[in-house]
Formats: sequence, structure tokens, C-alpha cells
Amino acid sequence: MSLNAIPLLSIIMFLPLLGALVVLILPGEENQKWWSLLVTTLTFLLSLALFFYWKNGEAGFQFVERYAWIPQLGIDYHLGVDGISLFLVLLTTFLGPLTILFSWDIKDRLKTYLFLMLLQEAGVIGVFISLDMVLFYLFWELTLIPMYFLIGLWGGPRRVYAAVKFFIYTMLGSTLMIIAILALRYFYGSFDFVDLLHGKGLPATAQLAFFGAFALAFAIKVPLFPFHTWLPDAHVQAPTAGSVVLAGVLLKMGTYGLVRFCLPLFPAATKQMVPVMMTLAIIGILYAALVALRQKDLKGLVAYSSIAHLGFVVLGIFALNPSGISGAVLQMVNHGVSTGGLFFLVGMLYHRAHRRMVADFGGLWKQLPVFGAFFLVIMLSSIGLPGLNGFVGEFNILIGAFKASKIAAFIATIGIIFAAWYLLYAFRQVMEGPLDKPENKLLPDLNAREIIILASLVAVILLIGLFPNIFFAKINPSVLELVHFVKIHAAPVLITPLPTQ
Amino acid sequence: MITLDKLYLLSPEFILLIAAFLVLGIDIFGKRRWQKALPYWTIAGLLLSMVASFWLMGHKETVTDTMAADSFAYYFQLIGEMVVVLVTLALVDYLPGRTHQQGEFYALLLFAAIAIMVAVSATDLIMVYLGMEFLSITSYVLVGFLRNDKRANEAAIKYFLYGAVASAVMLYGMSLLYGLTGTTNLAAIAQKLTAGNLVSGYQWLLFPALLFLTVGFGYKSSLVPFHQWAPDVYDGAPTPVSAFLATASKGVGFALLIRVFVTALPAVKIDWVALLYALSVLTMTVGNFVALRQTSVKRMLAYSSVAQAGYIVIGLVAFNGKVPFTAFNGVSGVLFYLLAYAFTNAGAFIVVGAIEEHTGSTQMDDYNGLVKRSPFLAGVFLILLLSLAGVPATGGFMGKFMVFGAALAEQFYILALIAIINSVVAVGYYFKVIKAMFFVPGEGPAIAVAKPTRYALVITLAMTLLLGIFPSWFLHIATTSGLAMVGL
Amino acid sequence: MIPLSWYLVVGALLFVIGFYGALSRRNAIAILMSIELMLNAVNINFLAFWRYLTPKEMAGQVFAIIAITVAAAEAAVGLALVIAVYRSRDTVSVDEVDLLKG
Repeated sequence: MSLNAIPLLSIIMFLPLLGALVVLILPGEENQKWWSLLVTTLTFLLSLALFFYWKNGEAGFQFVERYAWIPQLGIDYHLGVDGISLFLVLLTTFLGPLTILFSWDIKDRLKTYLFLMLLQEAGVIGVFISLDMVLFYLFWELTLIPMYFLIGLWGGPRRVYAAVKFFIYTMLGSTLMIIAILALRYFYGSFDFVDLLHGKGLPATAQLAFFGAFALAFAIKVPLFPFHTWLPDAHVQAPTAGSVVLAGVLLKMGTYGLVRFCLPLFPAATKQMVPVMMTLAIIGILYAALVALRQKDLKGLVAYSSIAHLGFVVLGIFALNPSGISGAVLQMVNHGVSTGGLFFLVGMLYHRAHRRMVADFGGLWKQLPVFGAFFLVIMLSSIGLPGLNGFVGEFNILIGAFKASKIAAFIATIGIIFAAWYLLYAFRQVMEGPLDKPENKLLPDLNAREIIILASLVAVILLIGLFPNIFFAKINPSVLELVHFVKIHAAPVLITPLPTQ
Repeated sequence: MITLDKLYLLSPEFILLIAAFLVLGIDIFGKRRWQKALPYWTIAGLLLSMVASFWLMGHKETVTDTMAADSFAYYFQLIGEMVVVLVTLALVDYLPGRTHQQGEFYALLLFAAIAIMVAVSATDLIMVYLGMEFLSITSYVLVGFLRNDKRANEAAIKYFLYGAVASAVMLYGMSLLYGLTGTTNLAAIAQKLTAGNLVSGYQWLLFPALLFLTVGFGYKSSLVPFHQWAPDVYDGAPTPVSAFLATASKGVGFALLIRVFVTALPAVKIDWVALLYALSVLTMTVGNFVALRQTSVKRMLAYSSVAQAGYIVIGLVAFNGKVPFTAFNGVSGVLFYLLAYAFTNAGAFIVVGAIEEHTGSTQMDDYNGLVKRSPFLAGVFLILLLSLAGVPATGGFMGKFMVFGAALAEQFYILALIAIINSVVAVGYYFKVIKAMFFVPGEGPAIAVAKPTRYALVITLAMTLLLGIFPSWFLHIATTSGLAMVGL
Repeated sequence: MIPLSWYLVVGALLFVIGFYGALSRRNAIAILMSIELMLNAVNINFLAFWRYLTPKEMAGQVFAIIAITVAAAEAAVGLALVIAVYRSRDTVSVDEVDLLKG
């Protein structure tokens, strides 16, 4: 059987989209829920085929599909995944069924909610698998609208403000990006990512301008300090499943964009901007950690910890060496699982108590032992305890950062200590001590549905933590290729075109 | 000279002419129950005429010295006919109860469509003037048709006064152009100007002539500073007529701007590019910033359509005259943009009209919680607004993409940047409406939408998405149409 | 014989007077009259150019005749609109026709 004959990537992307349209016409809330769960689970299972049929050791794109879409403008429907995007696709499809499961008892406008969640999933998958700049931009924007509505319709008290802020920030970045994409077309004569890679090089000044436009769009999405101000608002106001999708996959679009586009397309500019990006990443790590320490709202705390973690990812990317970037790619997945898990946990707590201030709780161990166990594992994974997933990613990033700049690595390590501090502090405040609040004595422990969600997360946490080489085996070839590519093309070009591969 | 065997090239016009008289005849002599069918007769005529226009596309001949039968003309004819179909659908439930002379209204609408067709085929200044005036006069009447409506009245007189002055200025420009070249034929004017073979010595009159012509076309396409009529007229006119003015009628302004400047005035391209550059920047910026502080959705749409005109002009600024066209070229950009914009904007006005029918208001506050009162209208409006804002997978995005791409390809970086900043500003007010419709709670009875209006909206919605997701075929048509005109 | 430029100067003067009137007058009827002045200026131009530059071709003359005809049609519609406004508000001053603003 020829696997190449099956347009696997298209199926994975269009399945949630089709599912979304079907939800709109499906009668009955139960049907809609089960249908959504079925679609997302099926998508996940299909995406596992990517993993199992992966050609190990290959650096290039696999499962490539390419059809002419708008031939006059040279725009193709061009899909493909490599080691960098593979696990992000898997992460997206993995979180899909979990978010649907979590939203099981949403009552308010359920149909629209499910429609938006599925649409969102299709959009994010599209972002990770598009190899045509215009197609990429289309999906990039497509993810924006559902999230805008998810925050604005099901969010907390200041949801409208948060939704609009989220939208304006990201829109600002993406409009710059589309102009940059058009200008790239002018310089290279192509919208195709692979063509752009092998095209002639750009003059250093032009590279800087392009890098600026793309990196700004991505930095807003990540979000990198000082463009992060929209994120806490969006996270705190968003419904739990929205926060999970936001932290789990949407933010990854920013870091993914940096790795996928900024590095190989503008290598000279990348090289020049390393100090700037590293400084911003480190400021972000420390700043977010300090703010997290002061957070009284659990969700805000997780949101700031998320900014700090993504600072690490950016640090790893701009170390520009294999261990830094591989670590960053794996850390993106880790962050999706751990921070996603923390948001789930906060959501479950809030669902029971209708409060989520740190001070509202205390001594929950006795009341919610199962919850506590999951909380402990996921929190430790987020801190980076050896044996769990966070450690593998952060360790590799730090090795990479150390090779690139010892000071950067040193300061980043302080960030890890801070992370341990605020997370352990929050955990202690919530779970340990006497169960002194009478209203907390009535909280029921997790139900089966919630246990399934958390258990699958913990399974992935352990899998990555104990057997990281399964993942690195697929990530590394692409990353090595990328690092090599950046290195040989990084010399600033003045007029002469770069040698093609 | 006109020969009878070429008359079939005018069949779209003739079909509409027959339809118009048929509608008038039925209105006068027909039985009561036949009159109910008037809009459908109108639509039937328009559809037939569309078939003819489409059939004849690809021809490249001159019917007479004054009228071309090229794809460019047929392309704009199709846009005009399509918009009038949509407007007619929206009128089916709008007119009864407002006027008894429905037949006249539909007939006038058909005459306006014929005027568009004549104007876009014109290759002679006389025909350009005639076509424009034909369209203007029918439009004045359409705007002020509901005599007892004070606002419509006021809109009509404002439209008329601005329009008459603008057309007089344009005519003065034409007289100067005639004086310079001794001819009114566009191609002949181009020849004389390029060869420097002027019949009179007043060469310095060329720039004023250009400026005066721009006033006339700019007025039709509502370019700042000739736009002052637009918000008031769109606001006061019967909403379906506003939809017509903001799309089909505006398209004629652009068609003539392209046709006259490209075929007659290539010799002074530097001048008109500079002029249009300035107008484009002014139009986008003024349109967007004034739209931001509107509280009425209808007026906001009016200013937004002024701003959209500014984006469209960019395509003309980026016209490079190369044949065959480069991938991103201004003319196909403008043509595609106008097609997408016609559907999107007509749809948006129809939505506003449908809501106004039930709430009697166009205020933003009355859109609060619209999604509960009419999910259909809110959903359609959402997609149309996204298209106006230029979000991908909609026709509006592809249009902007083409036009901005053309600007970058011709190295108008600053212009592209200004346009981008403007489109971010525009997101601000489009999303104000979306916010009101979906996020802000609001109460009110459910809004029922009449069936024909529903059809019109479904068409605009489908076309907006189709143009955004599968633009290839339409782009091909736009490109060949543009080429036909440039090659003539 | 009177040189061409004299005609053109007269035309330009008429046009400017008409344009000024159209912009400064508040009475709708007066504005209409000013517009007529502008159109007549155009006709003088057309006829002068035709007579002096291309007397053998009819284009200028035809254009002038068409302009006159169109102007008549335009004036008819314009007056009808003015009357409609007058009936509904008892005024023909454009300053007082101010429902639509913003």
C-alpha cells in the first residue's frame, strides 16, 4: 500500500472543519457533544499515523501534498510536516478531544461553542502544516476569529475587553506579516516556503526589515516581553478550554513561526538579532516569574508562568545550536501539556468552588486527594523535575544557551528557581495546611471524565520524561539541517546572491 | 460607422431596454396581480442580459467609434447587472407600503443598469459624458423617489447639487482636452498626445484638464475630497438604492477612471499617478478616521465605502502598462477588488436595510445582541464585515492582497504601508459592530427577514466566500478583461 | 477676426463665476443657475475650439448640442427635486436642509 497516495495531512486538517460544519446542523446537544468528541478523537488517531509512518532520520518535509490553488499568483495548496512541526500537530490533535471532554457540561450556546472549538483546531493544524506563505497566513488568521469569540462569549466578567485586546494585538502583527509576505514575493518571485529557502539571498538590510515584520507578528503571539500585555487578560478571562487551547497550541504558533520562518529565511538578520531576542527572552523569564510570585489569582499565576516558559523556548531557539533548538521544539510540546494541564486543574477547581484565588483554599489534600496527586505531578513537570517532560526540554535549552552565552544561561537558571518557588508556593497554599475554610469541605473530588483528561496528560508527561529519545529521534534531523542551513547562510550578503543548496 | 451586423454586441443593453419598457407596460396596463410579479420580470431581464454579457465576453470589437464591445466593458456590465439583481431582491419587500409606483421604480433601476452599461463601454468623451449623466440623472431620481420621505429628499437634492457641479467641472475638462487634441475619441487623443501633435499651443492646459476629469470620476467613486455627498446620500437614500450607489455606481467611476486614463492619457501617466497617489492616501485616511467615530452603522458603512475606494485607487496608481500582465498588476487587482467589493458591500447595506425595516434604527446600540434576535443576519453580517476588514478566506482579502501586492511590485512601499495602517484602523470600527452584535447583551423581538432579501444575502455571502477561497477563475476573468482594455 | 484666446478667456471667466456661485449661494435655485453658467462656459469652449481648430469635424459641435440637451434634462430633474424639498419643508435654502449630518 502506498501511503503517499493518502492525503493524510489534508484529512487531519479537514476532519475538524467538516466536523464543525456538521455540528451546526446536528440536532440535540448530546449528539453534538459526542460527535465533536468522535471527530477530535478520530483526528488524533489519524495523526498518530504521522508518527508511526514517519521516516526516521529524514530532515526534509514528509507527507507532502501540493496542488495549484491560485496559479496566476503562484499560490499553492502545499502541505508537509518535518521534525519541527510533527509534534506540534500531534499536540494540537491530542489536546482536541481533551478540551471537548472538559467542556462536557457547558450549557450556554453549546452548538456555537463546539463549532468554534473544532474550527479552531482545524485552523491551528493548518498553521503547522502549511508550506505556502499565503496558505499559512490564511490559517494564521483563521485561528484568530474563533478564539476572539470563545473569549468574548464564554469568558469571565471582563471578557469583551480581553477579546478585543487579544484581537487588536494579534491583528496588528499579522497585517505587518502579510505585507512582508507580499514583499518577499516581490524579491523571490514565490510564495512557496521551499522555494524561498532555496532562492537567492537578500541583502542584510532587507533581511533585517523582513525579520522585524515577521518576528513582531510572532513575538506578539508568543508573547515575548514587552508584547505580552494582552496575554494575562486573555487567559484570565477566557473559559478554561479556551485557555488550554490558547496556552497549549495558539501561543506555539508564535514560537513555531520563529523557528520555521525567521531563522532559515533571514539567517543573517537572525544572527544579528540574537542578542536582542535573547535579552528580551531573559527579561521575559525574570519579569514573568516576579509577577507570577505576586499573583493572587491562580489562573493569572499560570498565565505568567506560561510567559516565563515561552521565554525559555525563545532563548533556546536563538541559541542557534542543535541542543537549544531541539530543546525548544520539545519544550513547546511540554509547555502545551504542562501549562494546558495546569489550566485544566485551575478550571476544575474553579468549577467546583467558583473561586480561584490562592487565598481561598488551603488543605485540599484531605478533601481532594486525586486532584492533589495530579496537581503535584503536573506542577512538578512544569517546574522541570528530572524524570518528567519539563526537565528534558529545559535542560537541553540551557545546554544550548550555555554554549551560546554563559551569562544568558546563568540568568535563565535563576528563572527556573523562581518557577519552582512560585509554583511550589501556590501548591502549598492550596493543597497543604489545615482545611480551615468550611466551604471547601464540601468540594467533591474528580469525576471519571476529569480523571481521563488528567491521566492522559500525565501519561504524555511520563512518556516524554522517561523516553525523550523517541521524540528527539524525529526532531533532531530537521533541527540539525536547520542549524546547518542558518550557519552557512548567515554571512551578511551585500549584493551577490547566496549559493543555493 | 455603425453597421447593423454589429448590433448584436449591444444585446445586453437591448435586452434591458425591452425589459424596462415591459415593466413599465405591465405597471400601466397589467392587472393588479401581475404587478406583484414586477420585480421578477426585472430580475428575469437582468439575468438574460447577464447571460448575453457573459456570452459576448472575449469579443474585442468596436460597435461604433464611440462604443467598445470588449471584455472590460462586459466585466463591468456583469457587476452592474448582478448588483441590480441583488438590489431588486432587497426591494421586493421594501417598496410596497412606501410607494404605489413600483413599476417606475424598477424601470428606473433597469435604466440605471443600462446607463452603467453604456458608460463602461464608452471609448469617446461624448459617450463617457452621456453615460455618466444618464447614470447620474436616474440615480438622482432613485434617491429621491420616495417623495414624502424627508431624508430621502434631502439626500437627493444634495446628491444632485454635488453631482451637477462635478459633472460640469468634468465637462469643462473634456472641452479643454478636446481643444488640445481636436478630437473626442480616446484612442485618437492618446495618439495626438503621445506624438506631441497638438492642434493648439496651450499645452499647459493638459494638467487642468486631467484634474477636472478626475473631479468627475472621483465624484462618482467618492474619492476624498469629492466625497462629501456620499455619507449623506447613502444615509438618506432608500437603503437598497444606497447599496446600488455604493457598489455599481461607484464601479462605473473606477471603470471610467481606468478606461480614460489608460487609453487616452498614457502620455501624462506621471501626472495622474501622482494625483491618484495623493487622492488614495487622502481617501483611505479620511474615510477610515471619520468612520471610527460614527454611531450609526449605515453612516459607518458609508464612510467605510469611501475608505475602500481609497484602497481600490492603489491598484490604479500601481498600473505599469506592461502587456501581458505581471502576476500582481494594478488593473486586474482593481477589477477583482471591485467584484468582491460589490457583493460584500451590497450585502452589508442590505443587512443594514433589513434591520432598519424592523427596528427603524441604524444606531450601533440597536445592534446589541443581534445574534439572539436574528442569527441569520448576524452571521451574514459577520462574514461580510470580515471581508470588508480584509480577513483571509473572503473576497475582500483577495482584493486587498492583489492591490497591495501590485503596489509593492511597483515599489510604492510608503503607499502600501499607509494602506496597511489604514486597514488596521478599519478593523477597529468593523469590530465595533461585531462586538455589539455578539458580545453586548440586548433585548428585542426576533427579526424576521423577507424571503427575497434572504436570497440576496445568501448570494452575497456565497460569492464573498467563493471569491476568497477559490478566486482563481474570477482572477482569470478579471485579468483577461483588463488586458482587453489595455490592448485596445 | 477675434483670436481664439478671447473666447477661451470669456469661457473661463463664466466658468469661474458659475463655480463660485455654486459654492457660495445658499439658495438651491441660485445654485442651479450657477451650474447652468458653468455648462454654458463649456459650450463656448467647445464651439470656439471647433470653429478655430477643427472646423471640418463635427465632434465639438455635437458635444455642445449634447451638453445643452443633457443640461436641460438635468435641470428638469433638479427643479423637480427642489420642488419636492420645498413641499416638505417650505424652504429652498440648502443651509436649512440639514437632517443628515455626521
